[in-house]
Amino acid sequence: MSALAWLMAANAALWIGFGLYAARLASSQGRLERRISQWEADNE
Amino acid sequence: MLHSKIAISALLGGLSLAICQWLVFAWAPEEKVMGLVQKIFYMHLPLAWWGLVSFATACAASLLCLIRHDRKYDLFSASAVETGMLFCTLTLVTGSIWGRHSWGVWWTWDPRLTTALILWFIYAGCMALRSIPMPEHRKASLCSVVTIVGFLDVPLVFLSARLWRSIHPSVFAANGGGLDMQMAVTAIACVAAFFFIWLSLLLIRYRQLLLSARLDSIIFEQLFKAEQEPAPKTKKLYASE
Repeated sequence: MSALAWLMAANAALWIGFGLYAARLASSQGRLERRISQWEADNE
Repeated sequence: MLHSKIAISALLGGLSLAICQWLVFAWAPEEKVMGLVQKIFYMHLPLAWWGLVSFATACAASLLCLIRHDRKYDLFSASAVETGMLFCTLTLVTGSIWGRHSWGVWWTWDPRLTTALILWFIYAGCMALRSIPMPEHRKASLCSVVTIVGFLDVPLVFLSARLWRSIHPSVFAANGGGLDMQMAVTAIACVAAFFFIWLSLLLIRYRQLLLSARLDSIIFEQLFKAEQEPAPKTKKLYASE
Protein backbone atom coordinates (compact mmCIF):
# COMPACT_ATOMS: atom_id res chain seq x y z
CA MET A 1 0.00 0.00 0.00
CA SER A 2 1.29 3.48 -0.83
CA ALA A 3 1.73 6.28 1.73
CA LEU A 4 -1.29 8.04 0.22
CA ALA A 5 -3.43 4.94 0.77
CA TRP A 6 -2.41 4.78 4.47
CA LEU A 7 -3.15 8.51 4.84
CA MET A 8 -6.58 8.06 3.28
CA ALA A 9 -7.22 5.02 5.51
CA ALA A 10 -6.52 7.13 8.61
CA ASN A 11 -8.69 9.94 7.23
CA ALA A 12 -11.53 7.48 6.52
CA ALA A 13 -11.20 5.97 10.02
CA LEU A 14 -11.55 9.45 11.51
CA TRP A 15 -14.75 10.29 9.62
CA ILE A 16 -16.22 6.81 10.15
CA GLY A 17 -15.62 7.28 13.89
CA PHE A 18 -17.30 10.68 13.95
CA GLY A 19 -20.12 9.32 11.77
CA LEU A 20 -20.75 6.39 14.12
CA TYR A 21 -20.80 8.70 17.12
CA ALA A 22 -23.23 11.03 15.33
CA ALA A 23 -25.44 7.98 14.66
CA ARG A 24 -25.29 7.09 18.35
CA LEU A 25 -26.28 10.65 19.28
CA ALA A 26 -29.16 10.52 16.78
CA SER A 27 -30.33 7.19 18.20
CA SER A 28 -30.35 8.46 21.79
CA GLN A 29 -32.11 11.63 20.62
CA GLY A 30 -34.77 9.45 18.97
CA ARG A 31 -35.17 7.44 22.20
CA LEU A 32 -35.57 10.66 24.17
CA GLU A 33 -38.20 11.98 21.75
CA ARG A 34 -40.15 8.69 21.98
CA ARG A 35 -40.10 8.93 25.80
CA ILE A 36 -41.39 12.53 25.67
CA SER A 37 -44.17 11.54 23.23
CA GLN A 38 -45.13 8.64 25.51
CA TRP A 39 -45.21 10.94 28.53
CA GLU A 40 -47.33 13.50 26.63
CA ALA A 41 -49.76 10.75 25.56
CA ASP A 42 -50.06 9.49 29.16
CA ASN A 43 -50.83 12.99 30.44
CA GLU A 44 -53.51 13.88 27.90
CA MET B 1 -28.44 29.44 25.74
CA LEU B 2 -26.74 26.04 25.40
CA HIS B 3 -28.53 25.68 22.08
CA SER B 4 -26.87 28.75 20.54
CA LYS B 5 -23.45 27.82 21.99
CA ILE B 6 -23.66 24.41 20.31
CA ALA B 7 -24.72 25.98 17.00
CA ILE B 8 -21.86 28.52 17.05
CA SER B 9 -19.32 25.89 18.07
CA ALA B 10 -20.48 23.43 15.38
CA LEU B 11 -20.38 26.15 12.73
CA LEU B 12 -16.86 27.22 13.74
CA GLY B 13 -15.82 23.55 13.82
CA GLY B 14 -17.08 22.94 10.29
CA LEU B 15 -15.46 26.09 8.89
CA SER B 16 -12.13 25.54 10.61
CA LEU B 17 -12.05 21.86 9.58
CA ALA B 18 -12.57 22.88 5.95
CA ILE B 19 -9.61 25.29 6.23
CA CYS B 20 -7.56 22.57 7.93
CA GLN B 21 -8.21 20.10 5.11
CA TRP B 22 -6.71 22.64 2.72
CA LEU B 23 -3.77 23.32 5.07
CA VAL B 24 -3.05 19.60 5.55
CA PHE B 25 -3.37 18.43 1.94
CA ALA B 26 -2.32 21.51 -0.03
CA TRP B 27 -0.27 23.89 2.10
CA ALA B 28 1.82 21.90 4.60
CA PRO B 29 5.02 20.49 3.06
CA GLU B 30 5.65 16.77 2.76
CA GLU B 31 7.95 15.39 5.44
CA LYS B 32 11.28 14.20 3.99
CA VAL B 33 11.66 10.86 5.81
CA MET B 34 8.07 9.65 6.34
CA GLY B 35 6.52 11.30 3.30
CA LEU B 36 2.77 11.70 2.95
CA VAL B 37 1.94 9.39 5.85
CA GLN B 38 3.29 12.01 8.29
CA LYS B 39 0.11 14.01 7.58
CA ILE B 40 -1.78 11.52 9.79
CA PHE B 41 -0.11 13.45 12.62
CA TYR B 42 -2.38 16.47 11.91
CA MET B 43 -5.42 14.45 12.98
CA HIS B 44 -3.71 12.17 15.51
CA LEU B 45 -2.29 15.00 17.65
CA PRO B 46 -5.53 17.04 18.10
CA LEU B 47 -7.51 13.85 18.77
CA ALA B 48 -5.03 12.84 21.48
CA TRP B 49 -4.88 16.29 23.08
CA TRP B 50 -8.64 16.86 23.18
CA GLY B 51 -9.15 13.30 24.37
CA LEU B 52 -6.88 14.01 27.34
CA VAL B 53 -8.54 17.40 27.94
CA SER B 54 -11.90 15.63 27.88
CA PHE B 55 -10.79 13.27 30.65
CA ALA B 56 -9.41 16.25 32.63
CA THR B 57 -12.81 17.96 32.24
CA ALA B 58 -14.56 14.79 33.38
CA CYS B 59 -12.25 14.61 36.40
CA ALA B 60 -12.99 18.26 37.36
CA ALA B 61 -16.76 17.70 36.94
CA SER B 62 -16.57 14.53 39.04
CA LEU B 63 -14.76 16.39 41.82
CA LEU B 64 -17.50 19.06 41.78
CA CYS B 65 -20.14 16.31 41.80
CA LEU B 66 -18.61 14.76 44.94
CA ILE B 67 -18.25 18.16 46.67
CA ARG B 68 -21.58 19.77 45.73
CA HIS B 69 -23.72 16.63 45.23
CA ASP B 70 -25.26 18.16 42.12
CA ARG B 71 -26.53 15.81 39.42
CA LYS B 72 -25.62 18.15 36.57
CA TYR B 73 -21.89 17.74 37.28
CA ASP B 74 -22.27 13.97 37.08
CA LEU B 75 -24.04 14.31 33.74
CA PHE B 76 -21.34 16.66 32.48
CA SER B 77 -18.68 14.18 33.59
CA ALA B 78 -20.51 11.36 31.78
CA SER B 79 -20.64 13.45 28.58
CA ALA B 80 -16.93 14.32 28.84
CA VAL B 81 -15.96 10.67 29.40
CA GLU B 82 -17.98 9.61 26.35
CA THR B 83 -16.46 12.32 24.13
CA GLY B 84 -13.01 11.51 25.51
CA MET B 85 -13.53 7.84 24.67
CA LEU B 86 -14.41 8.72 21.08
CA PHE B 87 -11.28 10.85 20.75
CA CYS B 88 -9.09 8.30 22.54
CA THR B 89 -10.37 5.47 20.29
CA LEU B 90 -9.71 7.51 17.16
CA THR B 91 -6.24 8.41 18.48
CA LEU B 92 -5.42 4.72 18.91
CA VAL B 93 -6.82 3.84 15.47
CA THR B 94 -5.04 6.64 13.56
CA GLY B 95 -1.83 5.95 15.52
CA SER B 96 -2.09 2.26 14.70
CA ILE B 97 -2.46 3.01 10.96
CA TRP B 98 0.56 5.32 11.13
CA GLY B 99 2.52 2.66 13.06
CA ARG B 100 1.70 -0.04 10.49
CA HIS B 101 3.29 2.08 7.78
CA SER B 102 6.21 3.53 9.78
CA TRP B 103 7.09 0.72 12.19
CA GLY B 104 5.70 -2.20 10.20
CA VAL B 105 3.37 -3.29 13.03
CA TRP B 106 -0.19 -2.36 13.99
CA TRP B 107 0.68 -2.33 17.69
CA THR B 108 3.75 -2.38 19.93
CA TRP B 109 3.95 -2.33 23.73
CA ASP B 110 5.60 1.08 23.83
CA PRO B 111 5.09 3.09 27.09
CA ARG B 112 3.04 5.82 25.32
CA LEU B 113 0.80 3.31 23.56
CA THR B 114 0.43 1.09 26.61
CA THR B 115 -0.53 3.94 28.97
CA ALA B 116 -3.01 5.23 26.36
CA LEU B 117 -4.57 1.76 26.07
CA ILE B 118 -4.81 1.49 29.87
CA LEU B 119 -6.57 4.87 29.88
CA TRP B 120 -9.00 3.60 27.23
CA PHE B 121 -9.82 0.52 29.33
CA ILE B 122 -10.29 2.55 32.54
CA TYR B 123 -12.82 4.88 30.93
CA ALA B 124 -14.48 2.03 29.00
CA GLY B 125 -15.01 0.45 32.45
CA CYS B 126 -16.39 3.76 33.70
CA MET B 127 -18.90 3.83 30.82
CA ALA B 128 -19.87 0.22 31.48
CA LEU B 129 -20.41 1.13 35.15
CA ARG B 130 -23.01 3.72 34.12
CA SER B 131 -25.09 1.06 32.40
CA ILE B 132 -25.40 -1.01 35.61
CA PRO B 133 -28.79 -0.51 37.30
CA MET B 134 -28.30 1.04 40.77
CA PRO B 135 -29.56 4.14 42.66
CA GLU B 136 -28.60 7.32 40.82
CA HIS B 137 -26.76 8.96 43.73
CA ARG B 138 -24.68 5.81 44.32
CA LYS B 139 -23.91 5.49 40.62
CA ALA B 140 -22.88 9.17 40.48
CA SER B 141 -20.50 8.76 43.44
CA LEU B 142 -19.01 5.51 42.13
CA CYS B 143 -18.49 6.85 38.59
CA SER B 144 -16.99 10.08 39.98
CA VAL B 145 -14.43 8.11 41.98
CA VAL B 146 -13.51 5.92 38.98
CA THR B 147 -13.25 9.03 36.75
CA ILE B 148 -10.95 10.78 39.22
CA VAL B 149 -8.77 7.70 39.81
CA GLY B 150 -8.63 7.05 36.05
CA PHE B 151 -7.36 10.56 35.49
CA LEU B 152 -4.12 9.62 37.31
CA ASP B 153 -3.14 7.85 34.09
CA VAL B 154 -3.46 11.04 31.97
CA PRO B 155 -0.15 12.67 33.12
CA LEU B 156 1.52 9.29 32.59
CA VAL B 157 0.28 9.17 28.98
CA PHE B 158 1.52 12.70 28.40
CA LEU B 159 4.94 12.22 30.03
CA SER B 160 5.53 8.55 29.12
CA ALA B 161 7.60 9.36 26.02
CA ARG B 162 9.96 11.44 28.18
CA LEU B 163 9.96 9.34 31.35
CA TRP B 164 10.66 5.99 29.71
CA ARG B 165 12.47 4.87 26.60
CA SER B 166 9.87 5.25 23.90
CA ILE B 167 9.83 4.98 20.13
CA HIS B 168 6.77 7.22 19.94
CA PRO B 169 7.70 10.56 18.27
CA SER B 170 7.64 13.50 20.68
CA VAL B 171 6.78 16.38 18.36
CA PHE B 172 6.50 19.28 20.80
CA ALA B 173 9.44 18.16 22.89
CA ALA B 174 11.50 20.31 25.26
CA ASN B 175 14.07 21.00 22.53
CA GLY B 176 11.43 22.42 20.18
CA GLY B 177 10.60 19.16 18.39
CA GLY B 178 11.95 20.24 14.98
CA LEU B 179 8.68 21.11 13.24
CA ASP B 180 8.84 23.28 10.16
CA MET B 181 6.94 26.61 10.50
CA GLN B 182 4.25 25.61 7.98
CA MET B 183 3.85 22.23 9.69
CA ALA B 184 3.56 23.89 13.11
CA VAL B 185 0.91 26.36 11.85
CA THR B 186 -1.08 23.48 10.30
CA ALA B 187 -0.83 21.45 13.51
CA ILE B 188 -2.01 24.41 15.64
CA ALA B 189 -4.89 25.11 13.21
CA CYS B 190 -5.94 21.45 13.41
CA VAL B 191 -5.84 21.55 17.22
CA ALA B 192 -8.08 24.65 17.14
CA ALA B 193 -10.50 23.06 14.63
CA PHE B 194 -10.82 19.85 16.62
CA PHE B 195 -11.49 21.92 19.75
CA PHE B 196 -14.76 23.18 18.23
CA ILE B 197 -15.74 19.67 17.14
CA TRP B 198 -14.93 18.34 20.62
CA LEU B 199 -16.89 21.15 22.32
CA SER B 200 -19.93 20.67 20.05
CA LEU B 201 -20.07 16.91 20.68
CA LEU B 202 -19.58 17.41 24.43
CA LEU B 203 -22.37 19.99 24.69
CA ILE B 204 -24.78 18.02 22.48
CA ARG B 205 -24.33 14.91 24.64
CA TYR B 206 -24.59 16.95 27.86
CA ARG B 207 -27.84 18.52 26.68
CA GLN B 208 -29.27 15.09 25.84
CA LEU B 209 -28.36 13.67 29.25
CA LEU B 210 -29.72 16.79 30.97
CA LEU B 211 -33.07 16.48 29.14
CA SER B 212 -33.27 12.76 29.87
CA ALA B 213 -32.59 13.38 33.58
CA ARG B 214 -35.21 16.16 33.68
CA LEU B 215 -37.78 13.85 32.11
CA ASP B 216 -36.90 11.13 34.66
CA SER B 217 -37.41 13.53 37.55
CA ILE B 218 -40.78 14.80 36.17
CA ILE B 219 -42.05 11.21 35.78
CA PHE B 220 -40.72 10.29 39.23
CA GLU B 221 -42.44 13.33 40.83
CA GLN B 222 -45.73 12.43 39.13
CA LEU B 223 -45.53 8.84 40.36
CA PHE B 224 -44.66 10.04 43.87
CA LYS B 225 -47.62 12.46 43.92
CA ALA B 226 -49.96 9.77 42.61
CA GLU B 227 -48.89 7.47 45.46
CA GLN B 228 -49.40 10.21 48.08
CA GLU B 229 -52.93 11.08 46.91
CA PRO B 230 -55.77 8.95 48.29
CA ALA B 231 -57.21 6.47 45.88
CA PRO B 232 -60.29 7.80 44.04
CA LYS B 233 -63.62 6.52 45.39
CA THR B 234 -65.15 3.89 43.16
CA LYS B 235 -68.88 3.36 42.71
CA LYS B 236 -70.36 0.49 44.63
CA LEU B 237 -71.33 -2.28 42.32
CA TYR B 238 -73.74 -3.90 44.79
CA ALA B 239 -76.12 -2.34 47.29
CA SER B 240 -74.95 -4.72 50.04
CA GLU B 241 -71.38 -3.42 49.91
